[in-house]
Amino acid sequence: MAETQEEAVRQNYTEKEKASIFDTEFMTHVDSMYNFAYRLTFDEDDAKDLVQDTYLKAFRFINSFERGTNAKAWLFRILKNSFINEFRKKSKQPAKVDYNEVESYYNSDEAGENITTDLRVETVQHMIGDEITGALNALPVDFRTVIILSDLEGFTYEEMAKILDIPIGTVRSRLHRARNMLREKLISYAKEMGYNN
Amino acid sequence: MSEFSEWFEQTFKNCYCEQGNLVDQDRFSEIAQLVLDNEADEESLKLFEQKLKNCMQTSGRFAEEKNLRECIKDKLSQFKQDIPGDLAKSIRNSING
Repeated sequence: MAETQEEAVRQNYTEKEKASIFDTEFMTHVDSMYNFAYRLTFDEDDAKDLVQDTYLKAFRFINSFERGTNAKAWLFRILKNSFINEFRKKSKQPAKVDYNEVESYYNSDEAGENITTDLRVETVQHMIGDEITGALNALPVDFRTVIILSDLEGFTYEEMAKILDIPIGTVRSRLHRARNMLREKLISYAKEMGYNN
Repeated sequence: MSEFSEWFEQTFKNCYCEQGNLVDQDRFSEIAQLVLDNEADEESLKLFEQKLKNCMQTSGRFAEEKNLRECIKDKLSQFKQDIPGDLAKSIRNSING
């Protein structure tokens, strides 16, 4: 697997080089990292701890990072793994929808009947960022994550596949389902608010 | 050949009936998203653009898809959480300590 090969290449940085990489390549992403962490945890303190923990790990394993490669994707991968391994277990997290259940529902024929793509731009233009963010936050975490990585952070499918440890084809289909789910939420929200009358 | 070439060709074909009319909106939306995400290869893109030129329904649907995506993206980007003022400092302290 390509990733194992990547991980096998170990660097041997001096203390000065480590400090320079940390400052110039890692710390420049602290804003994006915090926003990603917050959108995963919905809690300021948890997000802060998660980011801090990610940077500590990044520093500890800095010799696994090749200078000049994609530091942002590397950091996001560490953050995502820390979230899954440590933070997701916390009781502070809101109730989760079982991922497999959702995935199999969206793979079934039944789902196609409910997905409507007719959400007009004018309807969304009337909504404020807060309402759209609310709809995004209501998605199960695995679906929310792909939208954040793609639409907010601008990662390519290949980068997302590496960050999430999933095949690139799964990135494509999960992103499509996630966007459909977001639309469904926005449609029902628009109906409740009388936007689309 | 990109990762999605075969998938694109097959899915694209299945979006249309024998007469060339767009019949599967959901499949089309998946195709359109791949194009908007810049993940379609050159050949797929050519096929797609050709259809856009010749089919009003396709170009209308794609424009809608594109506008909706941009609108949602813009609004989500505007709503960012403020980063705690002491975060960068505490990160540096934790690695130095």
